[in-house]
Amino acid sequence: MSIKHVEEYRDGGLARELAAAIKSVTTREIRLMEVCGTHTMAIFRHGIRTVLPKEITLLSGPGCPVCVTSQRDIDCFIALTSLENVIVATFGDLMRVPGTVSSLQKEKAKGCDVRIVYSVFDAVEIAAENPDKEVVFCAVGFETTTPTVAASILMAQQRKVPNFSIHSAHKTTPAALGALMETPGVAIDGFILPGHVSVITGTDGYREVFERYQVPSAITGFEPVDILTAILMLVQQTAAGKPALENAYPRAVSQAGNTKAIQIMAQVFETCDATWRGIGVIPESGMTLKPEFRSFDALERFDLEVPQGGEPKGCACGEILMGLKTPEHCPLYKRSCTPAHPVGPCMVSSEGSCAAYYRYSS
Amino acid sequence: MKQETVVLDHGSGGKISHSMVSEMILPAFDNPLLATLDDGAELNIDGRRLAFSTDSYVVDPIFFPGGNIGDLAVNGTVNDIAMCGAKPLYLSVGLIIEEGFPTEDLKTILATMGEAAKKAGVMVVTGDTKVVPKGKADKIFINTSGVGVIPPGVNVSGQMAKPGDKIIVSGTIADHGVTVLSSREGLKFGSDIQTDSAPLGAMVEKIIGSGGDVHVLRDPTRGGVGTTLNEIASQSGVGMRILEDALPVKGAVAGMCELLGFDPLYLANEGKLLAIVAPEDADKVLEVIQQDEFGADAVIIGEVVAEDPGKVFLETTIGGSRIIDMLTGEQLPRIC
Repeated sequence: MSIKHVEEYRDGGLARELAAAIKSVTTREIRLMEVCGTHTMAIFRHGIRTVLPKEITLLSGPGCPVCVTSQRDIDCFIALTSLENVIVATFGDLMRVPGTVSSLQKEKAKGCDVRIVYSVFDAVEIAAENPDKEVVFCAVGFETTTPTVAASILMAQQRKVPNFSIHSAHKTTPAALGALMETPGVAIDGFILPGHVSVITGTDGYREVFERYQVPSAITGFEPVDILTAILMLVQQTAAGKPALENAYPRAVSQAGNTKAIQIMAQVFETCDATWRGIGVIPESGMTLKPEFRSFDALERFDLEVPQGGEPKGCACGEILMGLKTPEHCPLYKRSCTPAHPVGPCMVSSEGSCAAYYRYSS
Repeated sequence: MKQETVVLDHGSGGKISHSMVSEMILPAFDNPLLATLDDGAELNIDGRRLAFSTDSYVVDPIFFPGGNIGDLAVNGTVNDIAMCGAKPLYLSVGLIIEEGFPTEDLKTILATMGEAAKKAGVMVVTGDTKVVPKGKADKIFINTSGVGVIPPGVNVSGQMAKPGDKIIVSGTIADHGVTVLSSREGLKFGSDIQTDSAPLGAMVEKIIGSGGDVHVLRDPTRGGVGTTLNEIASQSGVGMRILEDALPVKGAVAGMCELLGFDPLYLANEGKLLAIVAPEDADKVLEVIQQDEFGADAVIIGEVVAEDPGKVFLETTIGGSRIIDMLTGEQLPRIC
């Protein structure tokens, strides 16, 4: 069950050889973090843990955009739905994330106009087709998503669609890695770096954080052979005591990345301090609209009543996102927090580590 | 149900749908025929065994590559009856139409239903039509109910899977789900994928006629093969092992799933069945399925085991394993 160009990266024989090589190089306990939620899912989906030596622990990192979105941002998205004449457009993953008092899904069930879109450009279309309504897009995501949202702002400006706006909760990946390494108690022997994000940032995007912390790092794709290759690189670097920033995904990731996407992102957005769910404020880790594009900022445009609320009591999302805990160690996991009735976003998002553990752990 | 209102997840066919069925619907109608939770009810009337089933169709869009809501509505109920081991005979059709719906479209849908009924060998013998004001329904909804006769000696049910049994799927999976998703407004991908909607009565007749020891027949519609296998595993109190390499998925379907972040194991099929068969008869049953018009790509995808009752495991291509859980929530596309 695969498409042609990925077949070789799902080759069972090659994967078994890589697993054997990993085993032969592994001599001590190693804790590796897959930063990206898509990697977490792929690792479960292909049963990768079940072919690795028991000395290797894989931890899920802060790379699921829905999971790291702060409670306040979620509450803002929900508050937008109650405004007169507003259509809220969102990616599907955000629908069920519980805010302090409701969720987008519940507001939709009550009759608010919430629409799931597959691309931000569809939200611009909805705005163009409904000139008498305001359309707000819930902008979450990392470097993979931010450039297209930037492009949608330019498009709305060019096509004169003034009734389109966004609330940006965009975040940057390298800043999160730095924050992780600064957190007391975090013990990570190597990073499996995201594939899609790195297509945009290139290996250069991680250079600064790598130079500062000297943690073995490997960028990779989402097929089993990609992931096993990266793990082999990391255990080899660890065994040799020579940390490096390696690229196991050269078919998609270059050194400089997608310069056009980086440029368009820089044209529309600038960095700002951002609150990460469960982690707190990380300086310069968020992306906000530049002053000349502020007219597309929903928070500038509307007066929002956002409920004051903290993260739910007992929810260990933050510690899970930093690799300090695995989902089984959260007091709510499988008790009051299940995919059908999620408490924290890590249980909602298809890429959240709690949802992945729930779905795939026996 | 902790929710105060019904949400779309309640209709996903996954976990939340099941909790609604067990917590709200079963207690309201409390009876042993309903409680079996098979695709249709088995009725015993003066020694004659009838299969009786109903289903409503609200697909969006109503026209999609390879079919429309009409043939879906006929084939869906025909197949639910067939999965009781029965020969489908008679259908009812209920139409709920939104004011302003084009009569041309209605004619097309009815003509498709007529052809589908003919092909399935069933007669539409009763019906009802309601029209609701514009905006009170979305274009057209169709309900079909049907009855069929279960031949003497036939005894299939989701409760009868036994350790050692082989699991057969009658063809490629996820075709219908991917077709509807990709033709839904907002997903503008060109593709030659089309629905697999088809009547499976003749295939079931061949399976029964083969004399093989067939324990379970089920069509993996909403919720897909993954959810259906979980239902059977828990109904029968058995475990299952599925081989990833054996799962038949068309290249274009697999590609679309990759792109959108869907797992083909959870996408709907409308012309496929799962047959769970005693091991000694598996090859014989597989052969008759492959001879059927809609079964050329049938394969054995795994087996029933005694361990881990109620759970379904997938042995992955790379030699690892993972659990296949029941679908939770509607499958939603990835955002990064």
